[in-house]
Amino acid sequence: MNNPFESTGRVKASLSEQKYIASDEISTIVYLSQKLGKPLLTEGPAGVGKTELAKAIAGATGRELIRLQCYEGLDESKALYEWEYSKQLLYTQLLRDKLNDTLGKAESLAEAADKLAGEEDVFFSNRFLLQRPLLKAILCDEPTVLLIDEIDRADAEFEAFLLEVLSDFQVSVPELGTLTAKHRPFVVLTSNNTRELSEALKRRCLYLFIDYPSIQEELAVVRLKVPELNPKLAQQAVEFVQKLRNADMRKSPSISETLDWANALVALNAKSLDKATLEDTLSVLVKHEADLQKAKRQLIAPPPSRGKTDDFGRFSGN
Amino acid sequence: METRILQLIAALRASGVRVSLAESAEAFTAVDLMGIQHRNHFRLSLRTTLIKDVKDLPIFDKLFPLFFGSGQPPQMGGNPTDDMTPEEAQMFADALRQFAESLRQRMERLMNGEQLSREELEALGNMVGLNQTDDLRHQEWLAQRMMRALAFPEVREALRELMEQLQQMGMSRERLEQVRQQIAQNMAGIEQQIKQYAGERIAENLSEQPPGENADNLMNRPFHALSDADKKILQREVKRLAAALKTRIALRQKRAKSGQLDPKATIRANLKHHGVPMEIHYRNKIRKPRIVVICDVSTSMRFCSELMLSFLFALQGQVSKTHAFAFIDHLEYISEDFSGSNADEAIGSVLWRMPSGHYNTDLGWSLNNFNDDYMSTLNGQTTLLLVGDGRNNYNDPRLDIFSTMSRRASRTIWLNPEPAYLWHGDSDMPKYAPLCNNVLKVSNLRELTEAVDSLLST
Repeated sequence: MNNPFESTGRVKASLSEQKYIASDEISTIVYLSQKLGKPLLTEGPAGVGKTELAKAIAGATGRELIRLQCYEGLDESKALYEWEYSKQLLYTQLLRDKLNDTLGKAESLAEAADKLAGEEDVFFSNRFLLQRPLLKAILCDEPTVLLIDEIDRADAEFEAFLLEVLSDFQVSVPELGTLTAKHRPFVVLTSNNTRELSEALKRRCLYLFIDYPSIQEELAVVRLKVPELNPKLAQQAVEFVQKLRNADMRKSPSISETLDWANALVALNAKSLDKATLEDTLSVLVKHEADLQKAKRQLIAPPPSRGKTDDFGRFSGN
Repeated sequence: METRILQLIAALRASGVRVSLAESAEAFTAVDLMGIQHRNHFRLSLRTTLIKDVKDLPIFDKLFPLFFGSGQPPQMGGNPTDDMTPEEAQMFADALRQFAESLRQRMERLMNGEQLSREELEALGNMVGLNQTDDLRHQEWLAQRMMRALAFPEVREALRELMEQLQQMGMSRERLEQVRQQIAQNMAGIEQQIKQYAGERIAENLSEQPPGENADNLMNRPFHALSDADKKILQREVKRLAAALKTRIALRQKRAKSGQLDPKATIRANLKHHGVPMEIHYRNKIRKPRIVVICDVSTSMRFCSELMLSFLFALQGQVSKTHAFAFIDHLEYISEDFSGSNADEAIGSVLWRMPSGHYNTDLGWSLNNFNDDYMSTLNGQTTLLLVGDGRNNYNDPRLDIFSTMSRRASRTIWLNPEPAYLWHGDSDMPKYAPLCNNVLKVSNLRELTEAVDSLLST
């Protein structure tokens, strides 16, 4: 198969075909990660396109994307595999007659138990194995992209377990033996940096920090994803968002919010970023009441500069 | 090239980035793969393999150009006499001749746009003691000194005179301006060269420096025997320990299976077993202690308190409510300072607000303050934590207030850097100690870590 990731240039081109604009940094590191067969750990503020990157990689390589969303309390049975007890129970009920046939001929209890043990494999086979994302990525016949999303939300315990899986891509299921990956999946981990990840995990990964994009990059993203927005307005909108990010907000607007906003502007058929439009749509961008007030105060209607009058006011009393 | 990369890695380590052996091997593999023709690719392949933390990215970005050049040589303006008419050139030479010999040589080299040679740079560096420095923050200052050694200020002055002279001799204004600009550019070029050189040398020194003292050794070193550099290492270590402690405590809570039966979760989990309770679930045993901490921030105790505070606030998720107070001669409520995320800044602002005086520690009066305003923070769920040496400068210890406090709190723990046999003189420790549930000696980081651990585990 023609490998779309054979050079950094090709990586960039094929990612942009997936409507993902990759900087040199991103494309180089993705290329390296693929070449070295190392998991890629991406960190950065929320909503800068970390998850999107994994989707774009999957799209570009034509691989299936298997996603494991991490959360507090995620454990092996939810991430790796689980026996489907209810199905096993159902089968024993339905197969009761057959079982009776087999066991009925037994002379003694011991013989019956032996016979039952001989049939045990039926109940602990792939048929009753509920594959969770990690096992699915390992057992898949085609190469896959495994996205482990927001690893920082999972417990340290799970992180340690993940380490084992990521280092040799094999798991052992006591009833079935060791299962080894047919193809090494391309692993992308994302983290919002809410907690420090363990050194051991970091050591095994390549590190990519994605920050908020520059004006040009963000404009390119907006133009690509919301082509209906008129270019001049897009420019203004992106400049406004960048200004918001520089202001000290509780939560800075992310790229995805910029896109939402751009879509909102298109939907409202806005002609320019006047005060009324801004006030109507600002809540798409800014999600905290305090931030909203601040943005309105500072960016939409900046207070008239009062330096002189203030000084005057202060000294006039004396 | 390989030694250069190894030097970079050593310098990174010396600046406090943790680079493991596996990671450095990885860096070489990546460089092999990407080649070194493309400078940016080379930089990225090193960065992605060596740096695994956002906080360390700036260190890498600062060190990399020092080991692998900034990409292009400094821009020199060229020789201004190149495109002068013979008369003008003659005029120039005449004007130059009027300066002293040594200064003239310097000027001429500047005119010609020559860069300094390696030997000259080395000689200059030795002159200002560049090879004894391994702190990148000195780069700017040492470069300044090297320029002074090159007599840059005098040369600048002389240039001004030269320009005046040329003007008097009748050189045209545009030409004069052009010459001035070229010379200025030449000077800037040399300045940049010197700066780059100073940075490179410092970085090399940094990489040759024996790997700093092991943090493990520092953990056992008593607080009062720590140098400023050690303290910085320890601050970093505290952050790491706090993170480790946090996960350990979280795990312990998770594994504490001795709690109450959780019927809801048990029924839910056992639906698949026909309701036969095969998996038993317990209620999460969450113990989130409330802590009221009173820290002595006078000079003798400052460092210990500082570490204790950074510990507590790094553990914020595990502690449901912390009220922190600091005292020297009176009590101040400092929790507000820590509402932001950066504990370093918060501690800095507290210490700035409460400068320590000379022998003015007064715990008694501080306890009195507490009694007046904050007694309500103590209740049956609170752990009262005191960090201090109990040296009260013969002031009234106010044992009455302290005993009320320890009665109201569920536990009272005192962390004292001094062992019991030193509790005499102005130490009121023997009087306070019987009122505490526990007095722990905390004189180094290891003991402090253990104290915090036991504080949160029982």
